[in-house]
Amino acid sequence: MSALTWTLVIISQLALVAGQLFLKHAMTRREQADPRGWIGQLMIGIVTMTVWFLLWLGAMARVDLSKLMPMEGLSPLLIVVGAIIFLRERLDWRGWTGVALTCVGVVLVSAS
Amino acid sequence: MHESLLKTKLPTPARGWVWNPYFQILLTVVLTAAAQILLKIGADGSAGDPSVGAWLGFHELADGWTWLGILAFVASFGSWLYALRFLPLGLAFSLTNGVHILVPLGSWLFLHERLGPLRIAGISVIIVGILLLAQSVARAEEKA
Repeated sequence: MSALTWTLVIISQLALVAGQLFLKHAMTRREQADPRGWIGQLMIGIVTMTVWFLLWLGAMARVDLSKLMPMEGLSPLLIVVGAIIFLRERLDWRGWTGVALTCVGVVLVSAS
Repeated sequence: MHESLLKTKLPTPARGWVWNPYFQILLTVVLTAAAQILLKIGADGSAGDPSVGAWLGFHELADGWTWLGILAFVASFGSWLYALRFLPLGLAFSLTNGVHILVPLGSWLFLHERLGPLRIAGISVIIVGILLLAQSVARAEEKA
């Protein structure tokens, strides 16, 4: 993979994590006594997810799927870490093992 | 664990299995997998179709599959947003990996793609991972 493709893939993964964090933030905000701004955050989330989708398509056009899929497998891990840092979510050891196994499974499925 | 932004508790969903956030995650997963397969069918249909005039009916059908796929994607987004109201993001997103179980199974059933041993192993590993995630949720809900 060239430097450009790597950059595309990394930015697309960052967009995925940011987009999902915004969506979750918007939906949590919506439930609060003062839900101001939730629609704006939802829109930011949707736009960021669109950026992710386009970048991911761009990466798929340049790289074999088998090389991209380990990155796809990594995305739940990135999202869990993002949710811990920015949304103060917690995960017990079962949850961590579950996340790790699903990541490995995704890579196995796509490696074949 | 069921604490999130600004330390607010997540709301309780309405009664009935349709409103159960885990059912909605399942719906997200099934719809996303269906969308992928429908889009693939649509793409294959139009790819092997150089003469548009002669294959007009077939072409239309191919487009129909594609649009059905897009519709399924939009619907899956709706159920995903619903589920996010009630579940922590990290957990909900990890559960959506069920897509990687359904897509190879669906491709095997409907597109006659091969289901090799590595794929079956991967599917099994994902199933174990999702069961562990489910247990992790159950524990967290007991404590809450």
